[in-house]
Amino acid sequence: MQLAIVGLSHKTAPVEVREKLAFNDDALRAALITLIKKENITEAMILSTCNRVEVVAEGSDDRLIQDFLCEYHQIPKDTVAKHLYSFRNTEAIRHVFRVTSSLDSMMIGEPQILGQVKEAYRIASDAGTVGMHLSALMNRAFAVAKKVRSETGISKSAVSISYAAVELAKKIFGTLNGKTVMIIGASKMGELAAKHLKSAGVSSVLVTNRTFERAVELAKVFEGAAVPFEHFTDHIDRADIVISSTGAPHFIITKPMGEEVIHRRKNKPVFFIDIAVPRDIDPTVNQIDNAFLYDIDDLQQVVDANLKERMSEANRAEEIIDHEVQAFCTRMQSREVVPTIVQLKDSLEKLRRDEIERHRKLLKDLPPEQAIDQITTSLINKILHQPIAELKAAAHDPQGPDIVEIVRKLFNVKPQ
Amino acid sequence: MYVVLLRLALGLYSVGLLHSVLTVLNKKHMFFRPALGAVIAGFVCHVLSIVLRGMEAQYLPITQRYEAFSFYGALVAAGFLIAYAKYRISPLSVFVFPLIFVMTFIANLFYNPPPPIPGILRSNWIYIHIPLVFLGFTALFIAFTAAVMYLLQERELKSKHPTIFHDRLPSLELSDDLAYKSLAIGFPLITLGIISGALWAQAVAGLSWAKDIKVLLSFFTWFVYLLLIHYRLIAGWRGKKAAYLAIVGFIGVLLTFLAASPLGSGFHSFYQ
Repeated sequence: MQLAIVGLSHKTAPVEVREKLAFNDDALRAALITLIKKENITEAMILSTCNRVEVVAEGSDDRLIQDFLCEYHQIPKDTVAKHLYSFRNTEAIRHVFRVTSSLDSMMIGEPQILGQVKEAYRIASDAGTVGMHLSALMNRAFAVAKKVRSETGISKSAVSISYAAVELAKKIFGTLNGKTVMIIGASKMGELAAKHLKSAGVSSVLVTNRTFERAVELAKVFEGAAVPFEHFTDHIDRADIVISSTGAPHFIITKPMGEEVIHRRKNKPVFFIDIAVPRDIDPTVNQIDNAFLYDIDDLQQVVDANLKERMSEANRAEEIIDHEVQAFCTRMQSREVVPTIVQLKDSLEKLRRDEIERHRKLLKDLPPEQAIDQITTSLINKILHQPIAELKAAAHDPQGPDIVEIVRKLFNVKPQ
Repeated sequence: MYVVLLRLALGLYSVGLLHSVLTVLNKKHMFFRPALGAVIAGFVCHVLSIVLRGMEAQYLPITQRYEAFSFYGALVAAGFLIAYAKYRISPLSVFVFPLIFVMTFIANLFYNPPPPIPGILRSNWIYIHIPLVFLGFTALFIAFTAAVMYLLQERELKSKHPTIFHDRLPSLELSDDLAYKSLAIGFPLITLGIISGALWAQAVAGLSWAKDIKVLLSFFTWFVYLLLIHYRLIAGWRGKKAAYLAIVGFIGVLLTFLAASPLGSGFHSFYQ
């Protein structure tokens, strides 16, 4: 396995650079086919999302991939070179595992990246640029991502204000099915929170706003009902969740009003979400039994706590990945040894037969000793031809010394 | 044989206890599945043990301390398994597993071979009175743990600094529902238990059962639960207040259960 990754992400490049290197979905297939025609590249896959562009290739070095990226997008190499990172072999495997497990994401643990990697893999599979190595790697990466997700808490708790609101609502009500939410004030933020609550199961939505038309408009979006602002207090007790985000300069829900609501609801709990600044709901409403009030800072505090938790869970995830990278390398190595031995034996056997065949005539004419001498000399030359060519090439290559070392070891030649 | 089975059950329950300790100390909830398996296996051994003891003694084995604690331990385990099957609230186990263990442990401490029992206990009433009371206790214990879970979660939500328990505890609505349902089952059971006790005492003339401290305590407890049911149904109490009352009620249950009878009649003291 000779894996190389070249790419850039939100960590190394601003969006102006990322967008220059991005591949759109329709172009991916053609790009992959161009890439695989390059010398040495046997397998390839391209991941292109709004936060990262990465080329994963088997059989080549990173420089070739860098050249490809610049040629393909027709941008001078020096403008992007400083933003590009590259990984090889073990580090490349680790990188793939980390990306797929969402450890390299802008928001650690976000779930979309796994789907995006899967999609990139599918496109490469369809284009026929995935072989044994990439398929083994990616399938393992998907399994690792699943493991990280289930064994650590990196994707567990909400890290946005509106998701935090949904999670808190679930802690109060259990299921949100059959619950009613009331939106007071038609702001973007309130709309977003209501949208999340609705997709979490809330069944009816009431909207009230100073301009009634806007309330009607928003109610239509949620297939809910609009309530005139002057009468919202008559309907508020129907709501299990109240989201308030008006521009009012004073409290529009006071403590006595909160008490009245709880009383009218026969003590059924209410979750008040106050995302207005200045606040709409008197903070002392939280002191009422069965009323739970969270303002924007409270929600942010929950999000911060969750983020901190995620970070510590990410450390556990890194441990899992360390372990998995090692296991995968060991498996791949042992997997490649056996076929390599077989191939090596086969090709040398073929060489030997060819030589005998070629010298068949000589065998008849020459005395045996001389014939053997000639055949063995020619066989040695044939066997050594490629290694010597590689050694010479290695002399001009920064990676050279490694190969010399390996050849010495293989043929048991000690340095003098 | 039944002693061996009970010790085996105790060993298996200790896995459950370990789970509770780990969850509280470690704040990780990874050990629940194996613990649940062990408690189920322990429960099977436990029931077998009770059946064998009953067959040997030829009576319902709940008259001695050994038998009473063993029986109650098994009932709590059964109650937990039923509640878990319905609600899937694994945090309930953190409260219940230690109780099951302690009950079974105490039973083991007080082991004695089945003695011949006095005539007063050789009554069919014993088959009605004690199971009713014990079943009621079990349901009320579950109501109590549900109330505790409710209060913990309520405090977490009100504080706005959710800690790790916040994740583990069930939602308020679920705890409240569990508390209410257990109460709805437990209250009629202890009511019938008390009535059957009164009838039994009536049937056996000459016993001044009104002086028995256990009887007095049980009236007090019954009254607390009556209030709770009343406020729930009539005044629409739920949540925090109901939870506090369920806890007070259960303290009454505990006192009733543990009370020996120092007032002399000895009617409720364990035989041996």
